[in-house]
Amino acid sequence: METTRVRPRGISSITLALIPLAMAINIAVGQFATGTPIYLDSIGTVLVGALLGPWAGLLTGVLSNVVWTVLFGSPYAIWFAYVAGAIGLIAGFAGRAGLFRRESPRWLSAFVGAAFMFALTLFVLMFIGRTFDENSNAVFPTMGALFNENVIIFVLALLAGGVAGYAVLRRAGYIGLIGLLTGVLAAVLSAPMAAYQFGGVTGAGTDLLVAAFRASGASIVQSVFAQGVVSDPFDKLTSFMLVWLVIQSLPRRLLSRFPYGGANDSAEAALGEPLSSR
Amino acid sequence: MLYLPGDGVLHRLHPLTKLAGALLVAVAVTLYPRPPLLLGVMALLLTMALAAGIARRLLVIALGLLLPLIISLFVIQGVLFPPPGAVPFATFGPIRLTYEGLFFAALIAGRLIAIALAILLVLLSTHPADLVAALTGAGLPHSVGYVVLVALQIAPDMAARVGAILDAQQSRGLAVGRGIARLRALPALVGPLLVGALGDVEERAMAIEARAFLASGPKTSLRVLHDSAVQRGLRWLMLALVLALIVLRVAGMRGVL
Repeated sequence: METTRVRPRGISSITLALIPLAMAINIAVGQFATGTPIYLDSIGTVLVGALLGPWAGLLTGVLSNVVWTVLFGSPYAIWFAYVAGAIGLIAGFAGRAGLFRRESPRWLSAFVGAAFMFALTLFVLMFIGRTFDENSNAVFPTMGALFNENVIIFVLALLAGGVAGYAVLRRAGYIGLIGLLTGVLAAVLSAPMAAYQFGGVTGAGTDLLVAAFRASGASIVQSVFAQGVVSDPFDKLTSFMLVWLVIQSLPRRLLSRFPYGGANDSAEAALGEPLSSR
Repeated sequence: MLYLPGDGVLHRLHPLTKLAGALLVAVAVTLYPRPPLLLGVMALLLTMALAAGIARRLLVIALGLLLPLIISLFVIQGVLFPPPGAVPFATFGPIRLTYEGLFFAALIAGRLIAIALAILLVLLSTHPADLVAALTGAGLPHSVGYVVLVALQIAPDMAARVGAILDAQQSRGLAVGRGIARLRALPALVGPLLVGALGDVEERAMAIEARAFLASGPKTSLRVLHDSAVQRGLRWLMLALVLALIVLRVAGMRGVL
């Protein structure tokens, strides 16, 4: 009798089992979040990246958006599949580097929050405050002038960011930083598609933000990019943080089934013990 | 799932033929957004929907999906912030209508409608399993096809699980608000959802292995798709047209033509 040969390399049964579950999670939580200002359609993608690595994350992101369109006929999802893929890829590299299992000191989270809010404030003020010369080239205000005019706003942003980092991010400083940067990257990647294919609007609440940036004299693609930079980091931050929280609370027995769940790195810890009780 | 059973010509076409048609429509209207092309494509797609008996459903779904976007498009890009240099032809108080602004909004809206109609026409007339079977037959890895089909199947279960978790947490005093207040309920939802899914993984993985899914060698499919030489030719023709359109557009932008 001939026995079936199993491919020694390639996709594993664990991968094949987790990816569709993660895609369904993307869709279910994304549906739950409609009506809120953030999308939350990538929690499953981030989970797969964290546990199975970059390529599985990429595949999950792309296929999730395809399935979203097949299920609901959504005209957006399939066009932004490449952005979802990039998010999965980055989550995968973060997972491979072990960042989903690592805790940060709280002062670092406070620093990440303050630095990000500062950068965001600088970006928005630069964007709104720019003027146009006679050849209609944008002239940006100098940093010195911005600081002089908006000292209070910058101080408030630093404080708010620091407090939010300390109180909300807590020990998720590393993964929070990755989430925020992923959001900026998502804004960069999706702006051209949103501007060219959809005229810069989605029919949701974020359109008000696009309109506000348009009112400052920006082109469609610039307004969409600015809107993305303002709202996407918080979306990705939430997804990355929630996955980090869940992984912290899982028993090692469950985590060790996955390639990047940390089966090898601390064999001395008891198997039933959650990661966070170290 | 959007699929509506039927036995018209559109339903009997090979899924790849329909996909190639939708691709051709999407590429053509994206690269050449001209009013005659947009109107022609929309008329053609609606005629096909009428012939297949799915026109009503098609219009209801397309309108539901696109109406908010189209309204936003006309208000923001068409009326409030028209392209630079646009001259108003009518003024109603603070609202100034410009030909350029309305034309831009109409063009984007027309293109979105044409593409949405093409995609919906494929989805309404093709069972997803047939779509995946056709794609794996054309060289898509079986594992990718499997992942897509399972995700389509368990998506309603996952939505039901979200409902069950929210019910359970609400009985313990969790408040699920509307708008931004919703986000406060998130950790109480996502925690159990992810842990539950990870718990299911092992069972599903064993089922996959028990069925020798990862074994090498040829696979047989339950689904039999009808293809014909005419359709195969049509598909190659449409793909060649897609390529030709892209090449022409790139050459046009470079100023070669």
